[in-house]
Amino acid sequence: MLDFQQYQHAFTAHIRDPENNPKPNNVDEERMAVYREGVYNNIFEAASVCFPVCQETVGTNYWDAIIRRFIATHHASSPIFREVPKELVTFLEADTETSDYIKQLAHYEWVELAVGGMPTETPTLSKETDLLNEVPVLAPAHMLLQYDYPVQKISAQFRPEQQKTTHLFVFRNAEFEVNFIELNPMAYVLLKMLKEGMTGKQALTELAEQIQHPEPQAIIDFGYGVLQNLMQQQAVLGSYSS
Amino acid sequence: MSRLTDINGVGLGLKRELIPQIQHHFQQKTPDDLISNIDFIEIAPENWIGAGGKYAKQLAWFVERYPIACHGLCLSLGGPDPLNTKFLKQVKQFLSVNKIPLYTEHLSYCSDFYQNKPGYLYDLLPIPFTEEAVHYVADRIKQTQDILGQRIAVENASFYIKPPIATMDELTFLNAILAEADCWLHLDINNIYVNSVNFGFDASVFLKGVPVERIVYSHVAGHYLQKSDLLIDTHGADVSDPVWSLLAEAYALFGAFPTLLERDINIPPLDILMKEVDTIASLQAGAADVKQRTNSVAA
Repeated sequence: MLDFQQYQHAFTAHIRDPENNPKPNNVDEERMAVYREGVYNNIFEAASVCFPVCQETVGTNYWDAIIRRFIATHHASSPIFREVPKELVTFLEADTETSDYIKQLAHYEWVELAVGGMPTETPTLSKETDLLNEVPVLAPAHMLLQYDYPVQKISAQFRPEQQKTTHLFVFRNAEFEVNFIELNPMAYVLLKMLKEGMTGKQALTELAEQIQHPEPQAIIDFGYGVLQNLMQQQAVLGSYSS
Repeated sequence: MSRLTDINGVGLGLKRELIPQIQHHFQQKTPDDLISNIDFIEIAPENWIGAGGKYAKQLAWFVERYPIACHGLCLSLGGPDPLNTKFLKQVKQFLSVNKIPLYTEHLSYCSDFYQNKPGYLYDLLPIPFTEEAVHYVADRIKQTQDILGQRIAVENASFYIKPPIATMDELTFLNAILAEADCWLHLDINNIYVNSVNFGFDASVFLKGVPVERIVYSHVAGHYLQKSDLLIDTHGADVSDPVWSLLAEAYALFGAFPTLLERDINIPPLDILMKEVDTIASLQAGAADVKQRTNSVAA
C-alpha cells in the first residue's frame, strides 16, 4: 500500500466505524464530522426512500442502527445510485441481527423500484391473441416472486409470527405504474411455466398431470380464466406463436 | 450527434424534479422564452445507466433536444480499490448510445478497500496531495481515457480536510495531474471559493493559476455556511455573491467559457432557478470569447 493510501484507509475506516477505528492523526474533529455525517446522510437518504414500511415496522432507532451497521460492514459493489437500496437488501439478507420477515419485507419494498426502472424491449405479439395455443406474453418489466411471509401485509401493526407462503406477480404497465398481484400457488406455477416459453395449453396440461387432476379440462378452464384476468390487468399483453 | 463544441453557453444540471417543468416549457422541439438560455444539460451517469421505463423515456426526450455532458460521481479516480473497468465500459456504451460527447469526473475518491475488499461509500472524499498520489491518479485518468477512447475532464473538488500528510497545495496537485494525464479541466468556481474559505487561501490567485487552455466547462453552485471558516458544498442554496464575482473575474481573465448551474437540493421552481441561468448568460454576454480555449478544446 502506498503512503497516501494508508492515510486513506485510516480515513475511510473511521468514517465507516468510528467506534472501532480512530480518526487519522492531526485531523480536526469538526471537519472529520462533516465527512462522517455526510456519508451517513447520503446513504441514509439513498437507502431509506425505498423502505418506508421497513422503517415504520422496526422504528427509527432500529433503522438508524441498521444503516450504521450497513456503512460499517457492507462492501457496496455498485456505483449506480439506483442500486444502493439493492445493496441494503443484500446486506440485510446476510445480517444475523435482522429477522427473516424484515429481510423479506425489505426485498418486497425494493421490488417496486427495481421493476419501475427495469430496462425492457418491446415484445412481439400476434395480431390475434390466443392464450391457450400460443405462448402468453407477460408485461416485459416484471418479477415473479415467492416469499415465506405475507410481505404485503406487514406493518407496525402486523408483524407476522408464522410463515405463510406468498406468491406475487409484480409488473410495470404501459403508464409506467408498478402493480402487484397476489397469486394462488397454481397461478404462480403457471406463470413460471409460461416464462419458460410454454403455450397456455402445454403449461396447463402439465400442471394437471403434476397434480394428477382427474379432469384436466377443469384445470385448463381455470388457467384460461387466470390468464384472461391477467390480461385485463395488463400483466399479460397478448400471445405469440413460438 | 452532439459534438464537444456543442457543450457551450449555459448549462443546467438535470434533476428529476425539474424534468416535467422543463418539458412543460417546450412546444415540440422549441423551448419558450423562460428556458431559452439553457444551451446544454448535464447528467450523472450513475443516475441513468441501465434505467428503463419512464427514466429511459425521459432521457431520450432530453437527448433529442439538448447537447448533454456526463458528470460522474463514482469513478473514484483517487480510490485505493482497482479502477472499476466494468463500470467504465458501461459508461462508454452509455455515452455512445446517447450521443454524449463528454465525460467528466471529480478529483476525489468515493470507495475504499476496507478489510481487503472494494466498497463504495458514495461521497466525494479528499485525496491527499502528494507526489505519489499525482502519479497514481494520473495513471487512473490515463487508463480511463484509454478505455473510453476519448479525453475526459477532471473537476477540482470541494474539501473540508486537508490531509496532514499532504506535501503540496491543491493548485500544484491539480496542475500536476492535468499535465501528467493530459486531460481537460472541469473548473468548479464554487469549489475554488469553498476551499479558499475552508483552507484560507486567495481564490483569485488559485483562479489565475489554472491552465485556461484545458477548461472544457465550469460549474457554479450554492453552498452552506456552517461557520465563518467552514463552507459545505451542498448545491442546496442560491449561488453566493463571492462566487458570482469569481465567475466574472474568470471571464474577465480568460474570456467566457461554458458554465453550468448545479442545484441538487432545496430546488426552487424552474422560473426562480432560471434567474441564475440568466445571470450566467448575461455575464457571458459581457465577456470576450477566448479563441485560445475553444480552439484547443475543440481540437
